[in-house]
Amino acid sequence: MDLLVQRSDVGEFRRRYHWMALFVISTFAVLVGRLTQLQIFEGEVHRQEARNNVVHERKLATTRGVIRDAYGRVLAANRPSYNVYVVPIAVDIDQVWPRAAQFMGLDAAEEAALRDKILALRAEIGEAKVKRAQSDPKRALALERLCNPDSDDSDVDPDNPAPAPTQPGACRQILLKSDVDRDAVGALETHSGELTGIVLVPKAVRYYPYGELGAHLIGYMREVDADMLRRLSDKEKYGAGDRIGATGIERRWESYLKGSRGWRKVVLQRGGHEIDEQRAARYLDEPRRLEPIPGRDISLTVDIELVKSMHDAIRPYKSGAVAAVDVRTGRILGLMSSPGFDPNVLSGGAGMKAAKEAFQRLFSDHLMLPLLDKTMSATYPPGSTYKPFTALAALANALDPGMEVDCHGGLRYGKRWFGCLGVHGHVNLHQALIQSCNTYFYTLGMNLNIDQLARVSMDFGFGVKTGVGANPEARGRAPTHAWLMRRYGGQFVQGFTINAAIGQGETEVTVLQLALAYAALANGGTLYQPQVVRSIETSDGTVVQEFPPRVRRVLELDHDHLTLVKSALAGVVNDKHGTAHRALLPGLDVAGKTGTAQVAVQRRGMTDAEYEWRHTAHAWFAGYSPVGSPEMAIVALIEHGGGGGTIAAPVAMKVIHDWQALKEKRLSATVPASDSGRAAP
Amino acid sequence: MRSEHVSFRAGPQIDMALLLCVVAISTVGVLNLYSATSVYIGVKAVVADNYVSQIYWIVVGTLFGILFAAIDYRFFERIALFAYAGGLVSLGLVFVLARNIRGAARWIPIGSFQFQPSEFMKILVILVVAKFIHNDPKTEPRTLVDLALPLLAALIPAALVAKQPDFGTAMIYLLTTLSVLAMTRIRRKSLAWLAVVLGVSTPFVWKYILKPYQKNRILSFLDPEQHKTADAFQAIQSKIAIGNGGLTGEGFMQGTQNQFGYLPDQFSDFPFAVFAEEQGFVGCVVLLGLYCFLCVWAVHIASQAKDRFGAAIAVGVGAMLFWHVIFNLGMVLGLLPVVGVTLPLFSYGGSSIVTTMIGLGLLMNVSMRR
Repeated sequence: MDLLVQRSDVGEFRRRYHWMALFVISTFAVLVGRLTQLQIFEGEVHRQEARNNVVHERKLATTRGVIRDAYGRVLAANRPSYNVYVVPIAVDIDQVWPRAAQFMGLDAAEEAALRDKILALRAEIGEAKVKRAQSDPKRALALERLCNPDSDDSDVDPDNPAPAPTQPGACRQILLKSDVDRDAVGALETHSGELTGIVLVPKAVRYYPYGELGAHLIGYMREVDADMLRRLSDKEKYGAGDRIGATGIERRWESYLKGSRGWRKVVLQRGGHEIDEQRAARYLDEPRRLEPIPGRDISLTVDIELVKSMHDAIRPYKSGAVAAVDVRTGRILGLMSSPGFDPNVLSGGAGMKAAKEAFQRLFSDHLMLPLLDKTMSATYPPGSTYKPFTALAALANALDPGMEVDCHGGLRYGKRWFGCLGVHGHVNLHQALIQSCNTYFYTLGMNLNIDQLARVSMDFGFGVKTGVGANPEARGRAPTHAWLMRRYGGQFVQGFTINAAIGQGETEVTVLQLALAYAALANGGTLYQPQVVRSIETSDGTVVQEFPPRVRRVLELDHDHLTLVKSALAGVVNDKHGTAHRALLPGLDVAGKTGTAQVAVQRRGMTDAEYEWRHTAHAWFAGYSPVGSPEMAIVALIEHGGGGGTIAAPVAMKVIHDWQALKEKRLSATVPASDSGRAAP
Repeated sequence: MRSEHVSFRAGPQIDMALLLCVVAISTVGVLNLYSATSVYIGVKAVVADNYVSQIYWIVVGTLFGILFAAIDYRFFERIALFAYAGGLVSLGLVFVLARNIRGAARWIPIGSFQFQPSEFMKILVILVVAKFIHNDPKTEPRTLVDLALPLLAALIPAALVAKQPDFGTAMIYLLTTLSVLAMTRIRRKSLAWLAVVLGVSTPFVWKYILKPYQKNRILSFLDPEQHKTADAFQAIQSKIAIGNGGLTGEGFMQGTQNQFGYLPDQFSDFPFAVFAEEQGFVGCVVLLGLYCFLCVWAVHIASQAKDRFGAAIAVGVGAMLFWHVIFNLGMVLGLLPVVGVTLPLFSYGGSSIVTTMIGLGLLMNVSMRR
């Protein structure tokens, strides 16, 4: 051994070894000290950080409550819909893409546009990465899964999206088509094994089976945007992209309909892929899941068949509104505003593009205002339909009902001429109501204090919101002395009262207010709070809350005065001189009042067509049926339609006719059932 | 009796303590790699086959180790200079032949293997410095001029690998050499000068030698909030993983940081984070104990060595292992900036394993022939 090298003296090193060993040991001691700090003292903190990395809450979607009509017919529900996405990195552009396009029924132009989009995104990701992803089918599938944020019942929490993918950009996806039809869904599902990179994402869409019918009342849904999110008071319940009721019942009863989302805790890999439950369990604390609570179902008081009848009756006219309420309860039987819209389209059921176009079209129609609920959100001069209330005010002010006025086609008061629509000769109160003689009511107006008229009007609910709880209500106006003084700079003239006596001038009402006032006339003086929701139920049908009728006020009316006015209202329809007599359909038992409300317009700045439209009087009919024991009060308004007796009364008559038919149909449907019950031994 | 005893001790005898320690660390290392390379695809854990090739490399490394233990170490004294020259040439070849992997050119392809000469150079530096010390016995304290030659022997390859760029390996060359030189007596004045030179050169190294990414690593270590780089992410996540281990750990293949993708480079540079998360404080202390024992044992072997060459080799190998462990764990524990230094017998990589095994073979060699 010693042949190889000479042994050398190691003496020089001897003193160093101990120091070296000490250095090594103390350095390791520092590492152990650090481990103690990280694992023992800060262990809990880091355990929590580690859990925060992987444990996420996935929101569980809830289902929105269903809206039904009084007879259980579904007015608003949810229907499944599917959006198709493509994951550009995972899709094979030569083999898979053309098949997918064919299944979805894309035409050549759409197909080419989308293909360009996919290729552009792929170029951004880098063709090398795409090639690598597609070289292995398993890898492509894994990427598709990874990229698909919504592969199961859950929807992605927009506030807390999955952690950023390890390859930014690689996971982007393109929406190919929203709400694809059933055939395409079927085809895509059947061939899903061969269509790597094409993803079907289910999404519930609000569905309104009756379309335009009752659309204003029921409302539609809109997407919650960032701006809206800031304003919402209960923002924690919503995320951008959620849907929220925009108008009508959908909006007013949103908190009931919405339901509450649940969540479940999941363990996610970095990049967002979910670990299966069994494996994830040991990392999750209790509770691991909160079940979503479905929204409440809402049953309305409305009969959608009656709304359909209103819709059909009003169809010949450009614009108008009909309201029918139950005289005995104040429940709304039907509301209809025209022109309308299809809430399915506005809610995005036909795609966001269609919704946007529809909004543009509807909002730009400044003449017809299709989105406006004309039953409660807009006011109109009531015209002669107001006369019964003037009559009651005058009778309370000691008017002798036998007093006669000679009508020469109008009346001069001071320097002004107040015109009548006819020359009625000598008329008393009864005849004046039947023939709608303005001259008679001008005379009443001359002797009346405007505040007395306003008092009676307000007792019947004019000038005050009804509290129906559907769309924003217009207040309307029953002008008082004080108000007119303010409005006209302290100059009050009796002409205001004379105009107000025939429902013109500053007097404005909503269609719903008028219907409720006539209901109060019909039932002997009980003014109800209108109700449109009858009950709230859980999704399994258990009634949670019912809404009994609510009386706003019982009017102290002189019985004789009321009888006088009601018999005149019956005469309007049934007397051969009555203004609505010609509209009466056989078999109907109706009382009511027509109205032809003049509108004052300035011609300046209007096209001929617009002026022609705007200067025509509003046609009204307000009434109730049957005359003896009234059940339904109805008001029909044809905006700028012309004469109340010729235009509006037939509309109301048709609705009343259909209402009777519906009532009889329901009766005959229940009678055999009770017969068979009795026949059984 | 006495002569019989001496003659019995004279024959080569295997150092069982060293052997068992190495077997223990290697076994734990392979198991840890098994866990570190398992990933989730779909719902099942899929284990990559890295651990299998790691076992192959350990077998190959062991064969090399046996070879380097069997030949009397004094033989290496004779070939040290040639080997060292060859090593320098292959380091130069890297620039010509290397494939660029993740921004660093370190590997020379030989057939289907990737050969990393800078790893093997560590052994050659140890041998050449040991040879120098062996041939230059001195009784009086050394001056800087005396140490210039061995320092140069480390600086040349250090400069070459720093250019790859591989700053970690360059530091290992220098620190290992300095550790070996620390055995000699050095004049106080010379030490002071050395300190001054180091102090003065630091700003120059910062300005002219360090690459931007290296500066970033240091900056992000000093101020992680301001420098949210990928390195900072690694450092933060590895700290979380270690802390998540707690006292007893999450259990084998159960660490979330590792299993669910929050530990990048978990099998090359951060295997200890995986181990710490799954085995906890208890496991870590045992593992650190093994590494510590290995380093101290190397010093012990050096103290028993018959000659200066053997003692220098033992200290050199011990220092090489020591600095690897310290830099790697310092980085993983967040005590040092991110430096790409492997954890011996834990990190995945053939060149690293084989180099470590050769070093351990040399250690065994010295131990057997004391």
